[in-house]
Amino acid sequence: MKIACVIPAWNEAKNIAKVIADVRPYVQETIVVDDCSSDDTAALAGAAGAVVLRHPINRGQGAALQTGNDYALAQGAEIIVHFDGDDQFRATEIPAMTAPIADDRADIVFGSRFLGRQTNFPPLKRYLIMPLAKLFNRVFLGIQLSDPQCGFRAFNRRAATATKIMNREWAHNSEIQSNAFRAGLRIMELPVTVVYHRFGLPLSAGFQVIKDLLIHKIIK
Amino acid sequence: MPLLQQAVALIIIICFLFRAAVQKKKNEISATEFRLWLAFWLLAALAVIFLKRIDQMLQALGFSLSGISFLFYLGVIALFYLVFRLRLSLAKLDRQLTEIARQIALQHKK
Repeated sequence: MKIACVIPAWNEAKNIAKVIADVRPYVQETIVVDDCSSDDTAALAGAAGAVVLRHPINRGQGAALQTGNDYALAQGAEIIVHFDGDDQFRATEIPAMTAPIADDRADIVFGSRFLGRQTNFPPLKRYLIMPLAKLFNRVFLGIQLSDPQCGFRAFNRRAATATKIMNREWAHNSEIQSNAFRAGLRIMELPVTVVYHRFGLPLSAGFQVIKDLLIHKIIK
Repeated sequence: MPLLQQAVALIIIICFLFRAAVQKKKNEISATEFRLWLAFWLLAALAVIFLKRIDQMLQALGFSLSGISFLFYLGVIALFYLVFRLRLSLAKLDRQLTEIARQIALQHKK
């Protein structure tokens, strides 16, 4: 099966070559979507053997992932993996994430940082931001998953088409999950390892996500 | 509202009406936009001229606020609505911009 890995990247010159080298043994095509980085991310990704798609202006992670999905689908990928460019996930877990799709047991597999694997979550994130995000997803979007914001996921073609990302920034995580439930896809969650090198999104980004989801609903 | 204040308000409204007419003449605004501004400023002029009538009407309806307060609240509500509309149209533009950026990226694969 043709597996493509989409890696959104913005100013990831420090990590991108290592991430690509880690990922390549497990996929047939590595697609880096450079979201108008001001550093050498695009050049380093190309040199490391990835296909590089470059946004002419910075549009956010959601937009970069959708660009990667469109390209992967056009190239005939049968499984698409989303993987972060900051070296926080373990590429060795890609086969476990794609196996349920290859075996036709699931259409979409979400990674979860709350199912027992080792993570070095900052306490504020673990005990305040994530529970609030999970509650919001459950109450307002009907999402029954243990991790509301994990960027490590795998799709088959049907799932990638049914979960088209319209939210260009951080609301895409909730949007993908919500669309997957709404489209009646076979959903699976698997534990993934996360090693944080920085705090990531602050609490204020959570409010931005809620605002983006609301505006997206209105202008749909 | 004393007569002098009403006169000043009317002069200001006439200035804005004149400005809208000039902009229309220079084709800086469309006919529809001009009609919208014309209606807005004429309504404002009527509200200033018949302010006492608005007072009476509000009292008859059981409101304790004055006509000028009513107009002020109405203006604030209108502004909120306009800002909301502006936010939505910006979001639409933003989405179109994203789509263009994505298409350019797909067409210029490296």
